[in-house]
Amino acid sequence: MELTPDTTVLFQVWEIPVNATIVNTWVVMALLTGVSMLTTRNLRPDVPPNRWRTMLEVIVQGIEGQIEEISRRKSHSLLYFVGTLFLFIFVSNLLMVVPGFAPPTASLSTTAALALSVLVAVPIFGITSRGLGGYFKTYLEPSAIMLPFNIIKEFSRGISLAIRLYGNIMSGAVIGAILLSVAPFFFPVLMEMLGLLTGLIQAYIFAILATVYISSATAEPNNSNKIKDIP
Amino acid sequence: MSVDWITVIAQIVNFLVLIWLLKRYLYRPILNGIDAREAEIAERMIDARRAEEKAEVAESEYLDQIATLQANESAMTNSARLRAEAARDVLLADAQELFEKERTDWKAHLEQEGHKYISELHKTGASALLSLTRKALDDLADETLEERIVAHVVTRLVPISEELRKAASGSTEAIATTRDPLPEAARERLEADLRNVIPNMALHFETDTEQSPGLILRMGGAQVAWTVDSYINGLDAILEEHLTTGAKIGAQGDGW
Repeated sequence: MELTPDTTVLFQVWEIPVNATIVNTWVVMALLTGVSMLTTRNLRPDVPPNRWRTMLEVIVQGIEGQIEEISRRKSHSLLYFVGTLFLFIFVSNLLMVVPGFAPPTASLSTTAALALSVLVAVPIFGITSRGLGGYFKTYLEPSAIMLPFNIIKEFSRGISLAIRLYGNIMSGAVIGAILLSVAPFFFPVLMEMLGLLTGLIQAYIFAILATVYISSATAEPNNSNKIKDIP
Repeated sequence: MSVDWITVIAQIVNFLVLIWLLKRYLYRPILNGIDAREAEIAERMIDARRAEEKAEVAESEYLDQIATLQANESAMTNSARLRAEAARDVLLADAQELFEKERTDWKAHLEQEGHKYISELHKTGASALLSLTRKALDDLADETLEERIVAHVVTRLVPISEELRKAASGSTEAIATTRDPLPEAARERLEADLRNVIPNMALHFETDTEQSPGLILRMGGAQVAWTVDSYINGLDAILEEHLTTGAKIGAQGDGW
């Protein structure tokens, strides 16, 4: 039994191995993009909204509302980043129920890539909002002695993000596979249902934590009214 | 548990591409659609507010018009009543005038009928009087009325013979006019008696159906006559008195 789809190499491109993680990621991307294109291809004010459009509007507005609640401001850039994180992780976890499909989020490489993206996005959003000096000054707060601890905190947050998501999704998939071999009729179904719930919660937690990290990097420590909007 | 860094890099690229794709095909269209719909709703709200304000203005104008109409209602009622009274007066005046005209016409018609009746009565009375007189003369004196008329006229000629000669000076013909032709004996007697009074005076006889029964003798500017008019007038006076007395009794009986 394989613990990660990284080891399943499907084909090679210029001697670069393309494994199941990458291909399944493409599947998730294609699914998300396809549904989005089909839903928004005929998006005009004079056309009444259909169920798909309403569903996507609810999802997008829900994500936007969550971000606004946490960061106390509206930000389209944060919506693009955090919303994509949530949708990608959620759809990947959702596809766990498809037989033979290994969710990309069950790969530590994927979760590490997402954590690295958050790790890089935090200073980018922080610098964009507060300026270069203003952002790096936060590493010296409350005193310069805290600089190494703040740097460690940043990396540990990224590592915890990656490990948490990977561990939950991988363990869910593994437990499901084990139960399938032990009791193939009832328990695997129950575990798959729990896996879907766990996947939704993990996607929510990952996106919320990313929002919190980015918001804390963009928020002024003492006067929140002077915070510039994230572009 | 290991990290494949090539996969990590590929997933980072995939994630960035996915961000771009969803931004292009999901977030922007959805957000733009929401913004457009919110703008449309806001525009409709503004339109609705304008329409509401317009309706309020219209309602206010309508209420003002109602108040104005209510205020003018009494004046309009008075005006209508005055016009109706004026029209009624005009109609009453017309009716009164028409009534007066009808009454005048009716009165004239009554008078005309009365005159016609009196005239008819006059003729009938005259005829009856003549008939009775003629019968009485025939029964009592064995004479005709015409002979007695001629005798009466001749009797009146004698005392005024001088005045007649003077009045008839220059005239050589006398005209005797009766309603009915005189009998031959009466004519001869009248000619003889006239010749005795006024010699050389020729006598010419004429008849006039419009004349009252009797005899009119004209000589130049003089005239001697006897007709039943005075008797008929007397009879008319008696009848009129009787009619007047009967009308008074009828009016008293009717409570007038």
